[in-house]
Amino acid sequence: MTSKLNFLINMSLGRKIKTKWFMISNIILAVIIVGVINIDTIITFFGGDFDKKQEIYVIDNTQKSYDLFEQQLRIAEQTFYPDKEEETYDLKLYDKNLEEAKKLIEEDTSRWVIVFDDDEENAIAATLVSEGYIGTFEYQLISSAINNTKIALAINETDLPVDEVAKLYSPIEIDRVYLDEDKLSEEEGIETIVSTVFPVLIFPFFMLVISLVQMIGAEVNDEKSTRGMEIIISNVSPQTHFASKIIAGNMFVLIQGGLLLLFGGIGLLIRKLIGEKSILDGFGKEVTSYLNTILDTGLGEQLIYIIPLTIILMILTFISYSLLAGILASMTTNTEDFQQLQTPLMIILLFGYYLSMFASYMEGSVFIKIVSFFPLISAILSPSLLVLGQIGLIEIIASIIICIVFNWLLIKYGLKIYKVGILNYSSKDLWKKMFKALKN
Amino acid sequence: MLKVANISKSYGEVLAVDNLSFTVKPGEIFGLLGVNGAGKTTTFRIIMGLLDADQGEVTLNGKKIDYSVTDKIGFLTEERSLLTKLTVKEQCLFYGALKGMTKEKILKRLDELLERFQITEYKDRKIKELSKGNQQKIQFITAILNEPELLILDEPFTGLDPINIELFKKEIIQMAQKGSMIIFSTHRMEHVELFCKKIVVLLRGRPVLEGYISDIKEKYRKKNIFLKADIDKEKIKKIPGVIDVIEKSDELEVKIESSDVVDNVFEVVKKAKNLTKFVVEEPSLNEIFVAKVGEAYDK
Repeated sequence: MTSKLNFLINMSLGRKIKTKWFMISNIILAVIIVGVINIDTIITFFGGDFDKKQEIYVIDNTQKSYDLFEQQLRIAEQTFYPDKEEETYDLKLYDKNLEEAKKLIEEDTSRWVIVFDDDEENAIAATLVSEGYIGTFEYQLISSAINNTKIALAINETDLPVDEVAKLYSPIEIDRVYLDEDKLSEEEGIETIVSTVFPVLIFPFFMLVISLVQMIGAEVNDEKSTRGMEIIISNVSPQTHFASKIIAGNMFVLIQGGLLLLFGGIGLLIRKLIGEKSILDGFGKEVTSYLNTILDTGLGEQLIYIIPLTIILMILTFISYSLLAGILASMTTNTEDFQQLQTPLMIILLFGYYLSMFASYMEGSVFIKIVSFFPLISAILSPSLLVLGQIGLIEIIASIIICIVFNWLLIKYGLKIYKVGILNYSSKDLWKKMFKALKN
Repeated sequence: MLKVANISKSYGEVLAVDNLSFTVKPGEIFGLLGVNGAGKTTTFRIIMGLLDADQGEVTLNGKKIDYSVTDKIGFLTEERSLLTKLTVKEQCLFYGALKGMTKEKILKRLDELLERFQITEYKDRKIKELSKGNQQKIQFITAILNEPELLILDEPFTGLDPINIELFKKEIIQMAQKGSMIIFSTHRMEHVELFCKKIVVLLRGRPVLEGYISDIKEKYRKKNIFLKADIDKEKIKKIPGVIDVIEKSDELEVKIESSDVVDNVFEVVKKAKNLTKFVVEEPSLNEIFVAKVGEAYDK
């Protein structure tokens, strides 16, 4: 029977891998992954006006705001873009009226115009004119510079000594004190970072689970609907058949997962070879800054055990989903019915995915901690909670044990349903038949 | 020898097979007959181990049928049991391997059978691309690929033209001559008469007729007389022992209760003008089947 099991595994795996569609889809995936990793190089290759500065025309009706505004704008630039060496804004004093300035925008719609006017109540009033919307981030920067211009005007009128004025403008260094000795200043804000990075990292797992469930369902239904199942089950036991589907399905997702990692590696290698100093160069200062912050927290050391535990939990979860897919597929009589029955599984998976994104914003949530022990969800949720420090090593090991027990129960009771289900061709009294099978 | 002993199977309150017993010896072709829903497929599934009988036992050469002996069995299901996305070769490699055959042995046997069924050109074609009849041939090939000791054929002639039916018959008879035990079901009684020695007819899971066909016909007693003459059929109907007279295109078929009535009929008919045919025949199996199953239905 072992050789027949091996044969069925090879057969099932071969039907998935030795197809032109597997080859085509992986070529497309490789191109997309390598392309995304090198997207900045691709964009630069096709050309574009990337170094063009944002032109801002200033009409200073107050006759005193322009210099101070320019000064405050440069300070704001340094605050908002600390790593940027060149200026982002090309500031120009414009001596004509607003109607004339609007013509400048008509000529080049990317231009902005700022008008400073005297204001009795508020010292100065400002008007920002643009063709369309401007980004929130840039609006905040301009707004900050205008507000500081008003403060600077007020300070100038107090005749304070120059060194006192300099002190007023210099940023304050905040000394953070934590009563919890385990907390580090570098970790402050990691929740936001993890909530952004983790869902991106677990997305391939999410996709592989969907692929696994659909593949097992389609294969079992194919054999059932053609009655080939009768020939197969008359030669090998339902246990052997079930095992072959689960093993082949999981082998497939591991191979596909490995290929995704390989494509990622090739993408990074190409990135290195085409001349970037560092793999992260060109991704933007924000990404580099995020990753540096994560590494500064000491997460790198924790990854030594977080990665293996996450892999174990993911493999166990793959097995859980494949067992459930096999059991559900055996109960249905066609692929359409299976697709309806698999919807709750997909919703559970999606639920776990969203919770992993919200986990960082809801620190201390008892509900999320409890849900992180649930099989089918734990592989998605537990590792992110572990990184956030909301659960410890013991909790993640507990999740693994719960997952093993869950799989054992699925095998023990699911097999009884599978044995009856795969030779059942009618949906009449389906649940009655399944409950009867469970009792036997 | 295949021994089916007192098997019964119910689906809820429906009794599908009720205390059925029969044996099939090596070289025998056994007909398991019955109307739709009589319990034939359930019986086949029990023999194949796909269903557990509520009671009774099935043994092959004295050993209970389990996965250790299924390599010696060939099974052709009533519905198509082929994986249509596979090619003929892949399909045979798949089912052959499930029977424990080596790749070389499967391919050698496949070539031989494709040749015999005159479909060598379909070896690398996908099953779904083949016609119904050719799919049935492939299904039959997969069932006999392992040269089974026991061959179960559930409606093997479905979708076949008369020429291919002959090919199948020839193959089935050859297998029996080589010592295989063959059980098959069909609704076509003329096929059963051609190569079955023993039959069992099921109705609602119960045997209503069983034994050797010759014995069944002998016990049935009723005969048919086919005659051609210028005679009023009402005159024949009046003869005691005549059940019915059916007017056919150019002859009359006279159904009589037993061979004792033959002389009485001949006495009347010989006086008629233009008597050119008077043949006494045993009733067909189809006739016996319809009569027996009809009787059982009435009961």
